[in-house]
Amino acid sequence: MSVGSSYASSKLESDRVPDKFPVGMKILLVDDDPICLAVVQRMLLNCQYDVTTCSEATRALSLLRENKGAFDLIISDVHMPDMDGFRLLELVGLEMDLPVIMMSGDTRFNVVMKGVSHGACDFLTKPVRMEELQNIWQHVVRRKWLDSKEIERSGSVEEADRGRQVTDDSEYASTVNDGIDCSWKYQRKKRDAKEEDDNELDNIDPSSSKKPRVVWSVELHQQFVNAVNQLGIDKAVPKRILELMNVPGLTRENVASHLQKFRLYLKRLSGVAQHHTGLNSPLYGASSNAKVGQLGRFDFQALAVSGQISPETLAALQDELLGHPPCNLAMPTIDQQVLQQASVQRNNSVTFERGIAFGQPLLKGQAVSSFPVWPANDLGALGSASNLGGLNTSQNSNMLMTMLQQPQPQTVPSESNHAINVQRSCLVAPAKSSNKFQVQGNPMHINQDSTIISSQSSANFQPGNAVVPVIQDSAVVTSNSSTSLKTGNNLFVTNHRSTILPSQSLTGISLGTDSGLLNQGSIIVPSQPLNSSQAGSNSILSSQNSMLVPSHLSGSLRTDKNIIPITHNSSLNNSSSLVNYNRLPTQSNVMPSSMKQVLDNLAAVDSFSVPVSMNSQVLSSTGSSTSWQLHSPDISISHPNGTHSLVPSSCNIEATDRLLVKLPDKGLGKNLGFVGKGTCLPSRFAVDDIESPTNDLTNSSAYTGDDGYLQNQDIFGISGTLQSGHCATTSFK
Amino acid sequence: MSLMALREQLNGLVNSMFLEGLLDDQFEQLQMLQDESSPGFIAELITLFCGDSERILAELTKLLDQAVVDYQKVDAFVHQLKGSSSSVGAQHVKLACVQFRQFCEEHNKEGLKGIYFFRCLRALNVVKHEYYLLRGKFDTMLQLEQRIQAYESKQQI
Repeated sequence: MSVGSSYASSKLESDRVPDKFPVGMKILLVDDDPICLAVVQRMLLNCQYDVTTCSEATRALSLLRENKGAFDLIISDVHMPDMDGFRLLELVGLEMDLPVIMMSGDTRFNVVMKGVSHGACDFLTKPVRMEELQNIWQHVVRRKWLDSKEIERSGSVEEADRGRQVTDDSEYASTVNDGIDCSWKYQRKKRDAKEEDDNELDNIDPSSSKKPRVVWSVELHQQFVNAVNQLGIDKAVPKRILELMNVPGLTRENVASHLQKFRLYLKRLSGVAQHHTGLNSPLYGASSNAKVGQLGRFDFQALAVSGQISPETLAALQDELLGHPPCNLAMPTIDQQVLQQASVQRNNSVTFERGIAFGQPLLKGQAVSSFPVWPANDLGALGSASNLGGLNTSQNSNMLMTMLQQPQPQTVPSESNHAINVQRSCLVAPAKSSNKFQVQGNPMHINQDSTIISSQSSANFQPGNAVVPVIQDSAVVTSNSSTSLKTGNNLFVTNHRSTILPSQSLTGISLGTDSGLLNQGSIIVPSQPLNSSQAGSNSILSSQNSMLVPSHLSGSLRTDKNIIPITHNSSLNNSSSLVNYNRLPTQSNVMPSSMKQVLDNLAAVDSFSVPVSMNSQVLSSTGSSTSWQLHSPDISISHPNGTHSLVPSSCNIEATDRLLVKLPDKGLGKNLGFVGKGTCLPSRFAVDDIESPTNDLTNSSAYTGDDGYLQNQDIFGISGTLQSGHCATTSFK
Repeated sequence: MSLMALREQLNGLVNSMFLEGLLDDQFEQLQMLQDESSPGFIAELITLFCGDSERILAELTKLLDQAVVDYQKVDAFVHQLKGSSSSVGAQHVKLACVQFRQFCEEHNKEGLKGIYFFRCLRALNVVKHEYYLLRGKFDTMLQLEQRIQAYESKQQI
């Protein structure tokens, strides 16, 4: 299904495809089964390809690293003893950007899906037949072609007519994205949780290539993400990104291909989010830090807005929020109105399950799909994330936010993306209401009324509050609850920055857990402790700096989300627990995914020691805004009780300067909401959008206005409202 | 025996294997792959397959002989054998592996663990049986091929 064949062929020359292609195409074949290796090799030779075989993945990787230009395509088996095929796939995608085809005798849906989500171009069933191998050259051409296309394109965002079929490469055109989202929708079904130790993926540090291939180091990637956030995921075109990044020696082509991968990664994240697996890994699993940052803003908002959440859900959420403070509301209740408006699509309602950290997610049981809302306990935010993903399409929803879990895989309605896309509007998850909440612009701002949930109180979401949406996305959350913040779960998802915070309110809810997902510097701060509540788990995951501060509310931290460890820098942590997608064990049930772990970790009743010091990693955002920088290095979340929550310290949240997460400068213990139990770290994410920085979140009372940081400081524990009093607010600077 | 007779015998053998289901159309594909540029392809493959399979069967026997059986490892090996037998076209062996895998997966069911263990043992025996049956025929095939090739090269001289 390559793009119009004639089209392609006419482009061949310009695409620098060698003469007589595909004859002589260089393939690297990796399989531990010698028989299969011999058979496929023979077949490939008969197709006149040039084949190199390898029976170990590690050896294959070193071959690839040493000779970057030596291969055009890789074919790899899934089950190998020394390294999982999917991991190899990811590494290759990150480091070398070569098309990879997976092979397996196991053709179950989830296995194939895993291939897709990790970026495989194709999936072959063993025994492999000759006919299937004859056309594999198309993957090479397609990739080259896409790359060159991206380069040519300069600044035009929409590729409306591109209408390319969804390939594994994500298109960045927003219109195309929609299409892609749709197609992905059905792909997103349950997916296996990625068990791999993606955590270690941080820092894949390929040897520097001698060839033009660029090594996307953490810093470079962060710059990239910053630039993307600054531009807005929709408008991010390689040329502009390149300009913003201002890295000598980097070409537009490099940026273009990296952007593709990034988008793919985001999609994957969001897709994964949908699954129960929750945040873990998928979100960050992106292994490779490169991906991490990508979380992209979480369009949580969008999701929420997008109506992913059914009105009932929202209503339910609201009820919950109102009714039971302890209930975690995962989503900030959004005004129905807003939601309605937003709901562009309603995908399945997201069901939130209780207990989710995020504050009870929205609905009990209803799955809110797409709604980024923090979701529900079950699945962990990812579900929502997925939604978000969907939503964002343009944005790249990163959603990590585990928002809602999605129990339903519903794919995020792409439409919702629209909704959300709203330019950065904040999305607010409305709880209950389904509709998408669109939040537009500025941080958190939920457009229109911002809804936010949270019934009860507070301001909810106010634009601004809540979390922020940080640039790009913002997250937010918050939920209601009195006093400020809402617990909402913030979800943030943002990719860059955004923080999320969640809720606060004392009463529990909060929850929302934030899910933030930050990809880049985003912070997530969990909502506050307040009892009950949810904790929404914060799942944050920020990859790349971002910290997560999971706070969980007492007891329940639901985290469904995983807090994802931020790769790179951010370290949350408690030692690793946060950082890696751990899930915090929240009391609540289900926490799917990592969030739970994270939360658990965080919450762990026992102190986590957050590696406080968050290192000052605070990345100062230079120039590019949008990423938060988490500077507060110390986010130590210490729980008064002694439990420390993890605050993502080192999150490098790249928010450029604006980062709002205030880390416990205020005194860590205090802030770190993340307390073993239910403390949430309120991190403020002040994400400021570069674009429309409404940053000042001041509007919400709770929120600290200054950077638009969402969450009022109080929430974070800062003020005693939080139960644990730990709210880590991280301010990103 | 004359060359032609040898060839007929070989063809007859292979055809009967197809008919019985010992071989499936994957093997046909392999036959098509063998050509002037790789005359010994099938022979090499068969030899490789036999060696590898016997290694796996030995491992499986050992694993099932343990006091506490590690079913994950068992499953991994069976999966591997299934992959290689399907790549070669050894249909019966592949099917026996599929069945074996099912038993492996079920072994976790509560209660009756002993029963599943026996089923796994029995499944392994079936796989072995099928394999050795096939192996015998493969041996004959290889011998015939060698003789044919010897004849052909003699004739060329």
